[in-house]
Amino acid sequence: MSSSSSLRILTRVCSRTKPSRRLTRSAEKRPLHLSASHRTAATAVHGHGATVNADEISHFSRLSAEWWDEQGEFAFLHRMNPVRVQFIQEKLAEIASDESESGAIVPPHSVLQGLDVLDVGCGGGLLSETLARLGANTTGIDASEANIGIASLHASADPSLRASGNLGYLHTTTDDLLTASSSTSSSPPKQYDVVASLEVLEHVDNPSHFLDTCCKLVKPGGHLFLSTIARTPLAYGLTILMAEHVLRKVSVGTHTYSKFVNPEELLDFFKRYPKGSPGDYQKWISSDATTYIPRHQAEIRGLIYNPFSASWSLGPRNSLAAAQCNYLMWVRKPKEGEV
Amino acid sequence: MLALRPTTGRSSCLTRVIVKNVNSRRLSAGPGGQQQDVDVVIVGGGPAGLALASALGSSSSVGNKLSVALVEAGDLDKLKHWAPAQGAYSNRVVSLTNVSRDFLKRIGAWDYVEEQRTRPVEDMQVWDGVSGARITFSASEMGLKHPENGMSRLTENFNIQRGLLRHLEKLPQVQLIQRTKVQSISQGPSDEQGWPIVHLDNGTTLRSRLLVGADGFNSPVRTFAGIQSYGWSYDTQAIVATMEHEPRGAFEGPNTTAYQRFLPTGPIAFLPLSPTVSSLVWSIRPHIAKALLSCEPTVLASMINAAFRLPAFSLQYLYDRILEAHNGNLPITPPQIQEEIEFRERTHDINQNSAYTSLIGSTRRGGVAPEEAESVPPFVTSLQPGSPASFPLRYNHADAYIGEGKGARTVLVGDAAHTVHPLAGQGLNLGLADVECLAKCVERSVARGGDVGSYTALLPYAQERYLQNHIMMAAVDKLHKLYTIDLEPVVWARSAGLEVVNELDSLKAALMMSAGAEAPVEPSVAAWSAASNLIQGASAVVELSRAVKSGATNVLFNGLSNLLSQTQQRK
Repeated sequence: MSSSSSLRILTRVCSRTKPSRRLTRSAEKRPLHLSASHRTAATAVHGHGATVNADEISHFSRLSAEWWDEQGEFAFLHRMNPVRVQFIQEKLAEIASDESESGAIVPPHSVLQGLDVLDVGCGGGLLSETLARLGANTTGIDASEANIGIASLHASADPSLRASGNLGYLHTTTDDLLTASSSTSSSPPKQYDVVASLEVLEHVDNPSHFLDTCCKLVKPGGHLFLSTIARTPLAYGLTILMAEHVLRKVSVGTHTYSKFVNPEELLDFFKRYPKGSPGDYQKWISSDATTYIPRHQAEIRGLIYNPFSASWSLGPRNSLAAAQCNYLMWVRKPKEGEV
Repeated sequence: MLALRPTTGRSSCLTRVIVKNVNSRRLSAGPGGQQQDVDVVIVGGGPAGLALASALGSSSSVGNKLSVALVEAGDLDKLKHWAPAQGAYSNRVVSLTNVSRDFLKRIGAWDYVEEQRTRPVEDMQVWDGVSGARITFSASEMGLKHPENGMSRLTENFNIQRGLLRHLEKLPQVQLIQRTKVQSISQGPSDEQGWPIVHLDNGTTLRSRLLVGADGFNSPVRTFAGIQSYGWSYDTQAIVATMEHEPRGAFEGPNTTAYQRFLPTGPIAFLPLSPTVSSLVWSIRPHIAKALLSCEPTVLASMINAAFRLPAFSLQYLYDRILEAHNGNLPITPPQIQEEIEFRERTHDINQNSAYTSLIGSTRRGGVAPEEAESVPPFVTSLQPGSPASFPLRYNHADAYIGEGKGARTVLVGDAAHTVHPLAGQGLNLGLADVECLAKCVERSVARGGDVGSYTALLPYAQERYLQNHIMMAAVDKLHKLYTIDLEPVVWARSAGLEVVNELDSLKAALMMSAGAEAPVEPSVAAWSAASNLIQGASAVVELSRAVKSGATNVLFNGLSNLLSQTQQRK
């Protein structure tokens, strides 16, 4: 959902202002670009020799209102957010408790404290803000420059996010994060404890390549969280027919049925990932696990919407029957040395 | 204004771009004033506002993550150091349900409430002043977990507020801003997402993530949020007073029975506070209330005794006498009212030794109490000086509990959201239930990293509380309307209704809840619905009985049979 609207917004921005920027610029320039845009915006407001006009600010603000209008286009996403965060927290806490040497239980509310988290396809920053509030050093990236502007603007209005300083946004892509560092320096790309890419997969063109880049940004032993929509008649009926055409809660064209991804397909992907003969690398999900999903390797949870209370809830663990429409997936990168 | 400073000299990849450097935190806003960012601003230091501050302050997950400020125009220090004389009680009393008390215990505030100044209600007697139909409740029969705690606990509002303030003293993270008025509330600039800004009369402004209106019936927060409310005034005043009386006799049990008599002018309630002190809540037409309060307190005391004992039409006669004297600028004197009451009692053949005689001083002290002594409250001998007072009664319910659009990031609790007739003693309990639910929503939102001022975070609060409050308020409202009618067929239906009520578990549960018990079977809302349906049935009879005058007798008959068959089916 999110990224499609980001695409929509991006298109709108492009048609309004300038041709789409190719996303292949070198990585160092990109954060600069963001701060530059804000510098000009800020100076425009403060009146010290402006280059960018107040028009752009008001434009950002207007889009921001859309992303953050909790009863508008993104209402479903807003309602979904607490449940997505719950899944992330509980899964991380479960693994952390299992692995804590003292045997102490790690409470879900503090498990994100201090972790490096990358939110891929952050859109207006719905997830990034919540993760940052929970203490994660969060970086939100989005291919849409407009989204990054919106997300930054929105977060900057929140005094506690400003004070904690653990949230940053970058206009970039996973590809660029990987290639930029390898082309400019010998240092490997920065890897994260947690990479989350929620409601994005169904909007990308080459999902397996996209997943590959996400996986490479995860630290060994780190976590990848995904959410998307299954390619089922139910999902078609709910997300396209009902949401877009009948109820018109979401703009027509937000979703493309053929791009939906089934949970089995994702499980398959990670059973074969990374590529290579079985002896070379530990696969993310043991390929011999045919009848169940190993608890320390992956988990699938359906997201179930209750239209009467306008709220989402998590389905049972690893129930593919409950993952016939929106679902979440967690998968873990094997630790170094695990073969 | 953009809250960003140019991140000069930082060109390396993945710098923390936003958030750190802030130049737009305008510390000075307005002449000499300061702007402060606060996560939760609570306007109003009544029981609901204080309870919310306590709940948030004492919550382990919220306490250190959110800043909380409470603004109150009055003097909270004075309330915190409230020290009434031995035996003296304030006139505003609340019947705290066990659910409400458990909530106060959970947040740790109950430890600071002076338990000696609370009184469990172990029994309740409710009767119809016209037909005499009566229902009795006993905590010991209710299957409560702790019957010794009674079905509810009566105490002064001040005792609760003082307890909450003492609790807040231990929670320094909650900022109490007292003796300070809210001058105005405005919506912040749009680039700050329009967070509400509260302007205080000391020059400070509070920019609030979440603005809570716990500011009572005329809520300025509700006005700011643009939330309409719907309601009416009952054309009724509630007279309150602290009554002193003889202790109960040896065979009558302690003073732990609450009494309520439904009179055509409104219900009168006798709420025990100690063995010799009880509190009065008497709903009555405003002109009678005015006349009664302008008499000597002894007259009011005699009238209270009479109102629990004399037949309704004799009371009407007494009101007329009092009004007549009042309008003639010659308020009735104690001997005059004594004489009038004596005369009415003689007319009704009330024995001078019976429990139903309402003449101060004429009863025997000690010894064996007369028959049915427990059917009426103890004799009121005097009223504590300065305690008689009155306030108007209303029904009012806000159209929404959460502000939207320009009023976003606002939420209403307690009387700001709803004002209810006090006959069921539910006002404060509804407010505390609001607070508990809202505090839970805030906790849940914080636990998930949410923005506590967001619509998403607040929505469950509105979803959970609005309907529950509405059902209970509607039922209480219907009760009031049903019992302030003395048309013959209605009275007949009413007494039949009450006797049927005694048999019906669901209705009994509902009425017990109104008395403040914890629901014996949990689904409280269901019980209230059942009650309100029955009462609705009876209200239909009211409508029908109006039609009687136009000759539709057979319709009335049908209406009554419907009512009875309905109640039978429920059984």
